[in-house]
Amino acid sequence: MKKLLLLLLTFTILIGCAKDDEFLEPITNEEVPQSLQIKELIGIKLENTIVTDRVAMNVKLPLDGKYRIKIRHGINNELISQEMIEAEEGDNLLRVYVASLDKSGYMIQLTDEFHNILGNQSFVVN
Amino acid sequence: MKKILLLLVSVMFTLSSYGQSSIDYSPVNTVTQVGDTLIMKFQYFKVDGNDLTLGQLDFEYNNKLLSYISHESQAPTGASFARNNWTGYKYVPKADSDEDDMDVQYTWWKDEAGSNSYEAGADWSVERITVQSASALENGQEFVKYNFKIKDKFGSGYSNYNDIIKVNWANYQESDGTQIQTTRSKDGQDLSGIEGGNAGAFVINLKTANTSNYTDYSYTIKQGSESVATGNFDESGQASISGLENNVTYTAQANLTEGAEYLDEVVTVSDLALVFAEAIGAGSGPSGGSTTFDYFVQDIMADVVGDGGVVDFQDSYEILAYLQGVTSGNTNLITQDGQTEDYSGIASTYGAVANDVVTFAKSFTPIDSDATSKTIDLAHGLVGDVNFSHSYTPVVESGGKSTSARQSSARYSKTQSEDANIDLISEINDEGQVVFSINSDVEGMVGSQFNIVYDPNVLSLENVIFDTGNTMTNFSNIVQDGIVRVGSFDQNFETTVKEGTPYKLIFTPLETIENTSGLISFRVKEGVKADGTKINFIIQ
Repeated sequence: MKKLLLLLLTFTILIGCAKDDEFLEPITNEEVPQSLQIKELIGIKLENTIVTDRVAMNVKLPLDGKYRIKIRHGINNELISQEMIEAEEGDNLLRVYVASLDKSGYMIQLTDEFHNILGNQSFVVN
Repeated sequence: MKKILLLLVSVMFTLSSYGQSSIDYSPVNTVTQVGDTLIMKFQYFKVDGNDLTLGQLDFEYNNKLLSYISHESQAPTGASFARNNWTGYKYVPKADSDEDDMDVQYTWWKDEAGSNSYEAGADWSVERITVQSASALENGQEFVKYNFKIKDKFGSGYSNYNDIIKVNWANYQESDGTQIQTTRSKDGQDLSGIEGGNAGAFVINLKTANTSNYTDYSYTIKQGSESVATGNFDESGQASISGLENNVTYTAQANLTEGAEYLDEVVTVSDLALVFAEAIGAGSGPSGGSTTFDYFVQDIMADVVGDGGVVDFQDSYEILAYLQGVTSGNTNLITQDGQTEDYSGIASTYGAVANDVVTFAKSFTPIDSDATSKTIDLAHGLVGDVNFSHSYTPVVESGGKSTSARQSSARYSKTQSEDANIDLISEINDEGQVVFSINSDVEGMVGSQFNIVYDPNVLSLENVIFDTGNTMTNFSNIVQDGIVRVGSFDQNFETTVKEGTPYKLIFTPLETIENTSGLISFRVKEGVKADGTKINFIIQ
């Protein structure tokens, strides 16, 4: 009986030491609005495609690190704006400011520090 | 003898039977233009016909091409004259008959056709003239003269002025009522060589390097000093004009709106380098031998102080002052925000040199018979735009400066350009400031320029940090709220912009921000090398 109790205790301790997420279903970040949720592990998503002044943006990253967010013209792909961010793994809620951009069609692009493309989304400044 | 007399009578009778007179109609004057007055005469010729005391003629004219003005009886004194007219009718000649046989056609109308001799014809008007005299009319007696105004055939449905008047029938009678055989002098009256009139659809093709913004350009067509047509070009750079007239000489000009948002991007450091080089070379004007320009029109474009096409240091310093945002005190012609200085002319002559003068021929003349004259290519340029970034490059041979002249100082050429990679990037630093860095590894640049656009409601420009080298002339100035111009230039073409991060702009956020996407964008981004090569910066 004593051995049985010891075994039960040992098993309980082992379970207690294990990571929770090995047993739990992945949960969605409750802080990310549905309109900005990204199913994939990496990506970029704007809350709206037609934008007037500014728009919320989610940048979902695989690792902590430096990334570039580029805005390219929707016709000739010319780069017209670029920022460098230092962000964390997972969802990063940011903004895109379009008030000073011409009314036109654009592509917003997520790349790593070395210009490798991780995600794209088109949008329109109206 | 009896037989001979019988034969003679028979011959006389035969001759009498086949003798005939004629109705002749023809213009009295020469007409050449739409709007001219055509004077037509209608005339009796006896020929070998019998004596005529009653002459009646019926003719029709095309009322889409001719407009009745008046008529004048030419009947001899003592004769009676009458005129009738009906609009909207056209004569139907007798089938299977000679349409020139006027008495046959008369008989057809009078006795045979009934209501079928005329049909409805909106384009035609019928005129009928009657002259009756107690005595026989003399050979060559005119019946009447008509005055018609020549109308424009544009939109009439007719492509020429053929058969605009036709005599339908004639009733010539002797005093006893005997019908005189009559023929007409021609099938119908034609007019040729009529000039003028509506030129129809006229097209202007705009020629400019600024192909993304055709709709920012307008055109003005003048006849003498009077403006006859104005409007804007469409997205394809075309304008369709109506209401011009053939054989009239007009002038055309194009203008770029002074409200265009990119006017501060027209004159840049590349233009400055070209003007400085020209000033150093001291070559100017069509006969200048040491010029550095490729085209004579560049003398006009570079003369921003407006002293008669002379390009010197006044012009280069004026452009430098403009780029630096310094008010020189001079009134300059530099195309800039809110100001355009246009040059335009027919593309085939644009920038040509005649008698040592650079020309911008503007005149054109639509000609009805020449379809190519219904379209013109109108070239446009801007003062200060010496490298033609927003202007049309001349194609006319005489507009190019001589090859030998170009080769003698081939260090500078607006035609040279190359691409180079740079990195422009914004980020938030540890102090919460937004830092916009221009990172360049491009070697050999004696000048560079960046027009940076930012959101002035979110960012305030605090500082511009230059690290271009010790002797470069740097400049930064706010063109307008939210646009800053940054750059450098070495007037001696010796010192080059230092590699690394030559420019850094520091902004203070006016609200809490987590990132800077879209807050800062870039428009003009170009450099120039000592040999005049323009560098187009490519950002990965």
